[in-house]
Amino acid sequence: MMKDYNCVGKPEDRLDGIPKALGRAVFTTDVSLPGMLYGKILRSPHPHAKVISIDTAEALKYPGVKAVATSRNTSQVPFTTAGAMVFTGPQGRPTLDQHIFEDEVRYVGDEVAAIAAETEEAAEEALKLINVQYEVLPAIYDPLDSVKPDAPDLHWSPFGKNVAGAVIEMKLCRDIEEGFSQCDEIIEETFKLPQIKQVQLETQSAVADFEADGQIRVVSTTQTPHCAQIQLATIFETPVSKVQVKNPPFIGGGFGVRIGLSAKAEPIATALSKLTGRPVKVTYSRREDFIASDTRHGGYITVKLGARKDGHFMALSVISRLNGGAYCSFGTETCAVMGAMTMSVYSIPFRNYCGTCYYTDRTPAGAMRGFGNPQGMFAVDSAVDMMAEKLGIDPLQLRILNSVKPNDPTWINPYPCTTALIECMEKGAAEIGWKNRGKVNKPEDKKRIGYGMGIGTHGSNSFPASVDYSYAYAALQQDGSLQIATGVPDMGNGTSTTLPQVAAETMGISLNQVGFLFGDTESTPFNIGSHASRTMFSAGSAILDAVKKVRQQVIEYAVPLLESPAENLDIQNSKVFLKDNPDTFMMLPEIAWHAHIRDIQFLATGKSEPANLPPWHAHFAKVEVDMETGMVKVLKMVAAHDCGFAVNPKIVEGQIEGGVLMGIGNALTEELLVDENGVPQNDSIHKYMVAMASDTPEIIPILVNCDSPVGPFGAKGVGECGCIPTLAAVANAVCDATGVRFTELPMTPERVLEKIRKAK
Amino acid sequence: MKCDYYIAPTIENVIAKQRAHPGKSAVIAGGTDIFLDIEEGKKSADLLIDVTQIPELNQIEETGGRIRIGAAVTHAAVEKSSVIQRNAHLLAEACRSVGSLQIRNIATLAGNIVSAQPAADAAVALTALDAEIEIAGQDGRTTIPILKAYKGVGKSAIDTSSQLVTAITFDALNKNQGSAFIRLEQRTALALPMLNVAAVAALNPDGKTFAWVRIVMAPVGAGPVRALKAEKSLKDAPATMDVITAAAELAATEANPRSSRLRGSREYRMEVLPVLVRRAVAAAVEEVPGHCLCLEKEAVLL
Amino acid sequence: MITIHFILNGQPVKVEAMPSDMLLDVLRGTLHLTGTKKGCGKGECGACTVIMNGRAVNSCMVPVAKADGARIDTIDGLGDPDHLHPLQEAFIEAGAIQCGFCTPGMIMAAKALLDENPDPSDDEIKEAIAGNYCRCTGYTKIIKAIHIAARMSNGKGGV
Repeated sequence: MMKDYNCVGKPEDRLDGIPKALGRAVFTTDVSLPGMLYGKILRSPHPHAKVISIDTAEALKYPGVKAVATSRNTSQVPFTTAGAMVFTGPQGRPTLDQHIFEDEVRYVGDEVAAIAAETEEAAEEALKLINVQYEVLPAIYDPLDSVKPDAPDLHWSPFGKNVAGAVIEMKLCRDIEEGFSQCDEIIEETFKLPQIKQVQLETQSAVADFEADGQIRVVSTTQTPHCAQIQLATIFETPVSKVQVKNPPFIGGGFGVRIGLSAKAEPIATALSKLTGRPVKVTYSRREDFIASDTRHGGYITVKLGARKDGHFMALSVISRLNGGAYCSFGTETCAVMGAMTMSVYSIPFRNYCGTCYYTDRTPAGAMRGFGNPQGMFAVDSAVDMMAEKLGIDPLQLRILNSVKPNDPTWINPYPCTTALIECMEKGAAEIGWKNRGKVNKPEDKKRIGYGMGIGTHGSNSFPASVDYSYAYAALQQDGSLQIATGVPDMGNGTSTTLPQVAAETMGISLNQVGFLFGDTESTPFNIGSHASRTMFSAGSAILDAVKKVRQQVIEYAVPLLESPAENLDIQNSKVFLKDNPDTFMMLPEIAWHAHIRDIQFLATGKSEPANLPPWHAHFAKVEVDMETGMVKVLKMVAAHDCGFAVNPKIVEGQIEGGVLMGIGNALTEELLVDENGVPQNDSIHKYMVAMASDTPEIIPILVNCDSPVGPFGAKGVGECGCIPTLAAVANAVCDATGVRFTELPMTPERVLEKIRKAK
Repeated sequence: MKCDYYIAPTIENVIAKQRAHPGKSAVIAGGTDIFLDIEEGKKSADLLIDVTQIPELNQIEETGGRIRIGAAVTHAAVEKSSVIQRNAHLLAEACRSVGSLQIRNIATLAGNIVSAQPAADAAVALTALDAEIEIAGQDGRTTIPILKAYKGVGKSAIDTSSQLVTAITFDALNKNQGSAFIRLEQRTALALPMLNVAAVAALNPDGKTFAWVRIVMAPVGAGPVRALKAEKSLKDAPATMDVITAAAELAATEANPRSSRLRGSREYRMEVLPVLVRRAVAAAVEEVPGHCLCLEKEAVLL
Repeated sequence: MITIHFILNGQPVKVEAMPSDMLLDVLRGTLHLTGTKKGCGKGECGACTVIMNGRAVNSCMVPVAKADGARIDTIDGLGDPDHLHPLQEAFIEAGAIQCGFCTPGMIMAAKALLDENPDPSDDEIKEAIAGNYCRCTGYTKIIKAIHIAARMSNGKGGV
């Protein structure tokens, strides 16, 4: 039963709305410090080469240049830009295969040197004067080539030739072949996924100041200030407590591109600051952001699905071979998440997953919204539709039959499954008009309508795949307002509003009484940051814990003042009152001041409990395919989400809508291409087909509540979920329209037309 | 990038400045192409001569059935012009498809022609309108047919260090002429076309046969390409779907698209081009009152 | 160096700049007005949208010399915390702001639209903001916000 709350569950206006609408919100790219220099980066033009020599003499003489940094005069401590460096748990070891500047470059765009100068123009001109001698080496671009015996070894790896990170195996049954032997029908198919890009609007940026006393202060676009703090401390061999990393306080989007460091922006800015003794700003151009910051993993996913003819799934095997690009980044974790998710949507007695990430000479792949789940579910849910066709069962009914049910075991123990997935499917189907499927096209139609669906799950944080914890501080100020602090940045996901909502509700005060410190290592305790759809579930839990403690302290303090046992006291609207006699009360400001002049402040630390709870989702797509040109147009998307409880429904809807459009791009138009020399072909927004406003279809988000045993007010994660089942929904809809199965994304007009033609 | 910038008040001023800096100046209108070209090293200039404040170049006029668009007129101005919407609406549609509103508010049609890109949307529509380009130079004024402005990919016949475009002119369409502009695109804004096709069709008084048709296709050559063989095959031919379909197949044989990693292979474009030509011609015919074309759903524009 | 005079957010300003400097860099650098954002520097994302002589333009593609004598309106001059412009109120009410980086350019593009067309259709709105890239919102609530602002401005009341 839905409780009636004062603040949570309400579509409160964003607290950062006014500054952002006025253009006064500060982003890293807006930050200027006195004496600041500008850093620009020299990048490899070759996909694979050894750096034989670097001559910086001419560049150093260019007017305005203050320093030139290369591997010769900067830290050679190995690291990974990925936050995995900091939050890999005891079961693994992070792959530290990167340096600030490489002596062996492994993709077009790899960092070779950098210049700090008085102006951006001076730095750019001086870059042209750096003379680098390369020995060009053979290059590979596809993971299927990475394993060939004659393929160049891009890194030494203990896991196998060109294997980036540990191979992930999930053997969830004794013998998968036994499972397949019990099946009446088997579908086996290999799906090909592209590398795609986050294309967040604020490019990677950092302003670093390596101060005279050895302290390092950095303002940057990182989604994880505390992780970046530890990474920089390691790279520059400085105590963590002498490094500050913060957002200023806002970030222009993230979507995974900066979990850990913002590519090399922070370390290069810091290195240049160390060399010059002045603050240095490094802002990636849009082209650099495209070619030299982590992408989504593309690659090959082979699915084998077996079922009995009554529709029950008996066996599922998923094998992924991912294109990790030049450096490991989150290669291991992406394989792991893909496995956890694809193995957890349907109740299947025999299941198996194996995931491997391979090095290639392409832009490194890393974290991007969904983190392996969109790719995996495209493959699995395409196979489910193929099975539906083979068995003659409606794909919706087949999914309702086989999907995980409440109280089934889930991928994350110990909590049994709480899921409203069936309700998501039913509501979504009704909204899209699923009953029209198969009934709308006439044989002679040149433009055909199709309906498709996809489902899935995710996590509400990254436990147990990663170290995942949040701490929070809470303090009642002397006027009864509440100060809270936790490390999660707000990159648009709304934490700077929703976490104060949690605090306000828990304390019993109004939202405008809450002050929130976030995204700054100096003023907030450790947090692994904003990613993994975890900020509400994990940071929210920590905030809840801390504020509950403060609340309890206030109540206990008020016991003698109000002459009432603690159980009979409540706090609402900043009023501490007797439950059985509300006219007997004291205002919070009164109590706070009363305590203050007696040398007392109410404050506490809170922590999130390591736990996880899967959210669930079902997407439905209605598309129109032009059979003569192959153009696919999405007419309507319905996105039904069980995220437990939406602390701010307006913000949750916005996250879903944005995710859906991102998923549509993944399905239809987005693809990073290189030519035969490894040179990226789409290095600008003009050349990379992200959706513009005129491409937006009708998007209908549906929020489905579900009682959850943990999470603040029962909230689960949702930030990534909007783009997870979308790929399968669109692909299945295109198949419904054309009668043709697409196993490669994106479904560009050319690919669609070719398949239609071949099917004739 | 260092260069001087001069805002010219008259055409004569432009010519004089060009004469004073031989080979070292370049005309700038909107500037959306030229700065990127200079940055990428494709062009160089010590002096940019801005022509957008010259009053004569900012007019859209219709006089005696002839339309004149000044060289400083932007895509947005053309898109919104009631003169153009009434008399040559395919040009308004072509202009609307370019870039974004911010770009259309600055970028000029003349600039689009001078940049000599294969897929320039406005130029494709203007070619279907059989437009002419007026040029002022050191020796006075000349007029050339629009296709003569293209010497090669990215190579204009107009040398902006010694000449400037002053106007684009064409005959207004009359009510017995229909037109259409179709663009195949991966995104509805900020995307170059995979293919674009413009068609203008005139029917004979019986409404059953073509008087003439102009069919323009891009990017299938250095500049917009007129499908002359297909046009010839339609002269006095019955205005039926079968005839149009056959002409569209013929038009495709006159096209020579290259393969683009980003915007479609040659094979794909050759496969789809006849579809677009067919749809464009049929849609143009559909605009002519009294036509006898039975179109069903298939001539729907993209 | 040249001297440019223009009217910025209703006030006359005078700046010294190189002729080939872009308006965006002059606004953010010389004039320290960081409300207008830089997302790509090539006119492809619209984050730098300002209104020049009543029309939305990408300020990263406008050489500052072109701004001489012009009327330039930027987000920095639109509204204040106590008197938000209807578009700013509507964006907040509709939930059309997430990371906020596209917001200044988006609002200025929307303002240019509403100044000319006070009651736009969905398609007209989409055309007006098609050059303003946003990755966070999926544009859905932005389009809704512009409708709300149109209604507010026309005195028809909010939703």
